[in-house]
Amino acid sequence: MKASVLEVDQLTKKYPPSKKGEAEFIAVNKISFVLKQGEILGLLGPNGAGKSTTIQMLVGNLTPTFGTIEYFNEDFATHRTEILDHVTFASTYIKMPWRLSVLENLWVYGLLYGLRREVFVRRAQHLLEFFNVWEQKDKTLNQLSAGQITRVMLAKAFIPHPKIVLLDEPTASLDPEMAHEVRQFVLRQQKEFGTSILYTSHNMDEVANVCDRVIFLKSGKIVAEDTPEKLAQSVSLTRMRLILKDGLKRTARFAKEQGFSSNIDGREIVINIEESLIAGFLACLADAKIEYTQISIDKPTLEDYFINQAKKESNV
Amino acid sequence: MRHLYPLRRDFDLLSDMLYWPLVDTLIWGITGRWLTEESSIPRLVTAILTGLVLWNVIWRSQSEVGRNLMDEIWNNNLSNLFSTPLKISEWLTAVIGLSFIKTTVTLVVIIPAIFILYSVNILELGLWLIPFFFLCSMTGWWVGLISSGVVLRYGPKVQTIIWALPGILLPFSAIYFPVDKLPEVIKQISMMVPTTYVLESMRAAVGGAPIDPTYLLISLGLNILYLTLAGWFFIRSFAYSKNLGLDRFL
Repeated sequence: MKASVLEVDQLTKKYPPSKKGEAEFIAVNKISFVLKQGEILGLLGPNGAGKSTTIQMLVGNLTPTFGTIEYFNEDFATHRTEILDHVTFASTYIKMPWRLSVLENLWVYGLLYGLRREVFVRRAQHLLEFFNVWEQKDKTLNQLSAGQITRVMLAKAFIPHPKIVLLDEPTASLDPEMAHEVRQFVLRQQKEFGTSILYTSHNMDEVANVCDRVIFLKSGKIVAEDTPEKLAQSVSLTRMRLILKDGLKRTARFAKEQGFSSNIDGREIVINIEESLIAGFLACLADAKIEYTQISIDKPTLEDYFINQAKKESNV
Repeated sequence: MRHLYPLRRDFDLLSDMLYWPLVDTLIWGITGRWLTEESSIPRLVTAILTGLVLWNVIWRSQSEVGRNLMDEIWNNNLSNLFSTPLKISEWLTAVIGLSFIKTTVTLVVIIPAIFILYSVNILELGLWLIPFFFLCSMTGWWVGLISSGVVLRYGPKVQTIIWALPGILLPFSAIYFPVDKLPEVIKQISMMVPTTYVLESMRAAVGGAPIDPTYLLISLGLNILYLTLAGWFFIRSFAYSKNLGLDRFL
């Protein structure tokens, strides 16, 4: 069994009320989880779930109200500097000095992680070439596009060869091709160097492809923790799409009588149904002389799980 | 490094370091000359221009602490910076070191400029300049720590304090005139300002009178006291800011 490199126990962040009479705001509420060596752990949740607050506490930019963070079995509160030598962070929303060139920015960070110049030059060239921004190395950051800045930020996070990387929506401003390259890069870092990665993203396909395990946060609490596949499977409803010759309204009525929700789009009807009941439902349609010309069955995905959880939240 | 690289391509930073000190030198030199012609005060222009040089030391020293913090905030870089192994004490040491470098550059330009334009040789003050510069730098550092601490506590909406707070020192330090010309109430307050003792000593030296070392010791004592209190306030404000999250400056 792989050793854990990060252990979070009962981590809580409360903000005092902004006005008298208001209640305090609990952004993160007693969450506990571990990140294992060489694991990519996804942190998912709707806006305001507490993902960024958690990451900010994990890099030491926000003091927890309660709970402990341990990296490599050392308390983060008392061993911050030694720990951060091996833990890096990149976020789409945090920038670097715009008057410095790409290489100058990376060199400043290289110095903070104690890199020697020749090691820095080799790694910077390798990373910037990989992220396709080597030709921009002498440009200042205000001359780059948002996507290029994000790639420089990723280079910054990986340049010290960290043991743990915290990535906050790393592909948010990238085009699909570069986002794919970044995902491949992240997976290669995990495979080749055993880097452990905590990953937040709103792209569910990305999380399903990259993460070994996912933690789902809602209103500051962990509501689920499992592999992306198992979380998706926990959504029992499958989407069955039928294109019918006729009997569209009768089919919708029939689905409703059976307790399944449906919606009609042109000649297509989409029925949300449990996989095990599909055969019986189709047999009933045949009995009712309703014929379909096309059928497709979409298994539940992580996105379905996400939407399902978000709906639960809005219904509360 | 992070604050030295932009100097090569940023006129804002260069103007702060060289352009405005030179403009001040020109204006105050001419004013001093005119006043010398109209009054019987000996070596008035020397006293005013030496006051100006010492003011530049105070301004540069405080400005580097406050301005560099603001630069990180304006660049959305504060969260990045403090998610590295960098300690706040290391950041402060670097910023103070940078203030020393930039102050030196400013002095290297304006001291010869004053000599060329007005034939005033500030280096005549000899080794006394070392404690004068050092004590003025110390004052700049604690003023910078206070204004930065206020920004960390209340956010960028109060950033103007970085430029406004040192202005308070101008009248109380008696930069361009003797302290006994101040109204009595202000004089009492100015006795609690370390730079008052430095500038009085400087005027004594310019006038050919002996310098009383007690004045400089009082200035040192006050500076140590204020620097300790300002350092404590800054560290507390940083902790307060981390309690609310450094990402609130994004």
